[in-house]
Amino acid sequence: MNDFAVVLENVLQVLTAGLLVGSIYALMCVGLGLIFGVMRVINFAQGEFLMLGMYATLYAFTGLNLGVMLGSYIGPIVGALIAGVVLYFAGLLMHRYLLMRVTGIRVVGSEGEGHYPQLILTLGVSLVVANAGLIFFGSMPQTVRTPLSTTAWEIGPFIGDHVSIFLNKARSVAFLVSVAIAVALYRFIGRTRIGKTLRAAADNPEAATYMGIDVDRAHSIAFALGCAITAVAGGLVATYYPFQPYVGLDFVIIMYAGVVLGGMGSIVGAFWGGLTIGLVQQLSTLVLPVQLQNAAIFVVFLLIVLIRPEGLFGRNVERT
Amino acid sequence: MLRIEGLNVAYGGLKALVDVSISVGEGKFVAIVGPNGAGKTTLFKAISGVVPPLAGRITFDGKDLLALPAARRAHLGIAHVPEGRQMFKTLTVLENLEMGAVPQRGQAEWARNLEQIFTLFPVLSERRNQPAGTLSGGEQQMLAIGRGLASSPRLLMLDEPSMGLAPVLADQIFNRIEEIHRQAGVTVLLVEQRVAEALGSCDYGYVLESGRLVLEGRHETLLADERVKRAYLGM
Amino acid sequence: MSGLRQGWGKPLAAIAAFAAAYLAVGLIVQNQYYQLMLTLVLVWAIMGLSWNVFSGYSGLISFGHASFFGLGAYTVTLLLVKLDITPWIGIPIGMVVGMIAGVVIGYPTFRLRGHYFALAMLAYPLALLYIFEWLGYQEVSLPMKREAPAAFMQFADHRAYVAIALALLVAAMLVSLKVERSRFGLSLNALKQNEAAAEAAGIDTLAWKLKAIMISGAMAAAAGGFYAVVLLIVTPVTVFGMLTSAQALIVTLFGGVATVWGPVIGSLILIPLAEILHAELGHRIPGIQGVVFGLAIVLVILLAPEGVLPRIRDRFARRIAPGAAPVPVDVPVAASAAERRVPTGEVVLRVLNLSRAFGGLRAVQDVSFEVRKGEVLGIIGPNGAGKTTLFNLLNGFIRPDAGEVTFEGERLLGLKPNRICRRGIGRTFQIMRPFPRMTVLDNVLVGAFVAEADDDRAVAAARQALSRAGLAARADSAASSLTTVELREMELARALASRPKLLLLDETLAGLGSQEIDRLLATINALASEGLTIVIIEHTMQAMVRLADRFVVLDHGAVLARGKPDEVTRDPKVIEAYLGRKWMAHAPH
Repeated sequence: MNDFAVVLENVLQVLTAGLLVGSIYALMCVGLGLIFGVMRVINFAQGEFLMLGMYATLYAFTGLNLGVMLGSYIGPIVGALIAGVVLYFAGLLMHRYLLMRVTGIRVVGSEGEGHYPQLILTLGVSLVVANAGLIFFGSMPQTVRTPLSTTAWEIGPFIGDHVSIFLNKARSVAFLVSVAIAVALYRFIGRTRIGKTLRAAADNPEAATYMGIDVDRAHSIAFALGCAITAVAGGLVATYYPFQPYVGLDFVIIMYAGVVLGGMGSIVGAFWGGLTIGLVQQLSTLVLPVQLQNAAIFVVFLLIVLIRPEGLFGRNVERT
Repeated sequence: MLRIEGLNVAYGGLKALVDVSISVGEGKFVAIVGPNGAGKTTLFKAISGVVPPLAGRITFDGKDLLALPAARRAHLGIAHVPEGRQMFKTLTVLENLEMGAVPQRGQAEWARNLEQIFTLFPVLSERRNQPAGTLSGGEQQMLAIGRGLASSPRLLMLDEPSMGLAPVLADQIFNRIEEIHRQAGVTVLLVEQRVAEALGSCDYGYVLESGRLVLEGRHETLLADERVKRAYLGM
Repeated sequence: MSGLRQGWGKPLAAIAAFAAAYLAVGLIVQNQYYQLMLTLVLVWAIMGLSWNVFSGYSGLISFGHASFFGLGAYTVTLLLVKLDITPWIGIPIGMVVGMIAGVVIGYPTFRLRGHYFALAMLAYPLALLYIFEWLGYQEVSLPMKREAPAAFMQFADHRAYVAIALALLVAAMLVSLKVERSRFGLSLNALKQNEAAAEAAGIDTLAWKLKAIMISGAMAAAAGGFYAVVLLIVTPVTVFGMLTSAQALIVTLFGGVATVWGPVIGSLILIPLAEILHAELGHRIPGIQGVVFGLAIVLVILLAPEGVLPRIRDRFARRIAPGAAPVPVDVPVAASAAERRVPTGEVVLRVLNLSRAFGGLRAVQDVSFEVRKGEVLGIIGPNGAGKTTLFNLLNGFIRPDAGEVTFEGERLLGLKPNRICRRGIGRTFQIMRPFPRMTVLDNVLVGAFVAEADDDRAVAAARQALSRAGLAARADSAASSLTTVELREMELARALASRPKLLLLDETLAGLGSQEIDRLLATINALASEGLTIVIIEHTMQAMVRLADRFVVLDHGAVLARGKPDEVTRDPKVIEAYLGRKWMAHAPH
């Protein structure tokens, strides 16, 4: 009985942790997925936007003294949202001055060669930003320090006092915010006029142009919004995960994996994909050494790409 | 209303249009016919601005179209119903129509236009909440035309509306187009490879071959022309 | 000019001159730090060449060349540490490992396209990075072998490293040159520009890609192994890290992609720049190297996407465009279908109950027909009738849901397009698929590789095919300068160059004026009189009447009618499908 309880507790603990972490991964995947879905651009620099989101949150949190003003619960959230706004504008600038010169309606329709310039461009941006981060922020690992990252809520005990689950407070708050933002984005894309034009521009940029939709502007909004959302996710991660300027690389493959898993182009899919990656990562701790956690994600990612590139959640929209 | 002068377009080094000049008067029904690959679709794309011309002028109501970015042109009242339907596949039928109504006139007259579209094509009303990708070919064509009408266009450009449709359906589509032209007084510019129907419906026609205009005239003149008869009508 | 026909003298002299000059500098420089830099420039030039041999020529951009570099480095290091095997042997073993890794990575990954390929390639080295960390190889030093340093590639005089690196680089350049100037390079270039057309012309694209990644993997592994020997310490991050893959790509793109000298020049400029800045400012501005490489690539993409070398070359030698004036072509008098040949009646191609659906659309339904030796069969039908889908089924681009295709008694289904081409079925495309950045002759040459194993004879075969198609005069023009009719003739020549027994022509007459149609009809009729079996698709009937012996009429994916031209044109079902009811109503019958 006792052994069983230990195993059960472990599994439940890992599942909840996976759900909490997964929801935050899901949010960053939604950011990347939005950009890919609308622009068909793989943004190599997405991890760097996540990193910038972390630092922006840190500086907003400490600089404005949000922890004292708003408390440990609300303070980091507001910090992350501020980071989102800042990175929205950074995204607009990057699209306007760099990406727009190699993307847009000319490129979007083609698979293959036409995409490499933007891919390589974002790779260059990623190198510059990560290393410039090192110059400006230093290599010391940082966190957005609140008491929440080291405290937890206990659920239970149940099954006769044997099993209880601990919910890390920082991760739980991040979970709630992630889900809220993802739902808000879902409604924005689904219901509002701008959201619909984004989807139209994604579905068929040429036809969208015929309808009078400015596809470049749609791309601009999608890119900036995607950067902002990933930055907010970064801000939330920053409350429980120590980070340095190269942190983007730790997460960028998680994002790719989630987006591919969800079916590239699908924003809802990206959410479920990210969530799944979180669960896989946490579950892998039951059987694999910690150092191989990330390798496990890569392997899952490669398997998905090779076996089912349309993703697990991808619906095959009929092709012309 | 629409005037094209000396238009030249090249695609990846390939000459697609050579010295094409066309004019479309207000309220008229003008057809451009010719074999596959003659450059008809390229001509439309140049008007809509997704293909840049090498030389030539395009004016709409006297305004220089080439000076405007592609997305602004729809706002002048030009609706382009592209070849191959080009649905927004994941959007619903209604959302597709909403996208058609992005230009201001379309937004202002949304309710009236929607009613008109649903009267012309009742099947669209039945399927309004279905993703456009799930419609049949004929229904998609209807939606493509409806989407064009949703902007309250002054010029409706139709590229091969009969393509891939069964003859019965194609006939139906042609009847609707004539109806739209007659009732709403919309100017129509039609590109077709069904030469007989196209020339039968239009006021004035052009024949495009290998990127050049080889013939033009009123529809009865063209229908009686020996070359047209031989090359296109199988007589 | 085709690379296949260029002399070797000049490039070899250039490489020799460069090597001599570099060696002279390497021997003069005394400062150990500069010697290291001279060595690293060469290492990254080799890495760039490795990337270039695969990605540059094939167009499949790899973001994961660190896999090969790292495997090479760890092979050499671990062989020395664990088994006491000298790098002199370790590096060749590392190259074999790199080659094998190329196959293991390439084979599954080549099924992917575009974004998926890029992402998958990115994941391999990063997965390896974590695996090597987990294996406990966070930081492995190469032991000093004081008793016999030279036997273990350890030299007190660092000029030796410059010399060895230079030897490796020269070898890599020679391999690259060999690739560039053979059917290898031309095949890669063809698949880069249009993979489907290359397959249809008989190029085994998978085989070439695998060969390219094997060579590339071996070169990168050699660079990695030697890098370990020079730096004497290996960590997963330095050899498998993102920056390693990025540097290979960046020096190449910076210098000039798909050229032998591009990676060398990129490396000569960027590596010293990054190293010097790192040495001067590294303590105050960490990460300056990454910034340099990042900025370099951003600027190249925005300002000179083709790289620095082609830019400079263009500036020095303003190339004179070859006279693109169309050459008048003698139009042979079109022989009519009736007066030229007698089909033997022997069936070469048999299509039985072929069906294929896309989603709900049944593009081809239950189509059966036969093609007899020596005949011209016309397949006609309105747009969207499934004609091109039918051809795509016949030449292996897509697989049918049901049905059977036999050619000369053998089943074709399941064969790849290049195999089907090798069996003797050539095709052209409705939407033309030239390799636009090649000459006309090279375009056709790609098709001739199937027929001729020897490169020189392939060139001769290509010339012959060009003259049969009536395009011999334009052999050295760029494909992008051709007119529509000339492009059609070029595609015809490309198909002919593989010496097909059966030719599939997909709307070869589309978009042509009547004189051009006459010209092409004459060419095709001449081919038919030589005994070539031809199936031709058209959507208009007029021109076809002058060409085809028999018709198969398709409508909505199914066979509507078949028979002799005069029978078919009088069939009321055909008239309705073509002209619509409205037309029937006021047509004079």
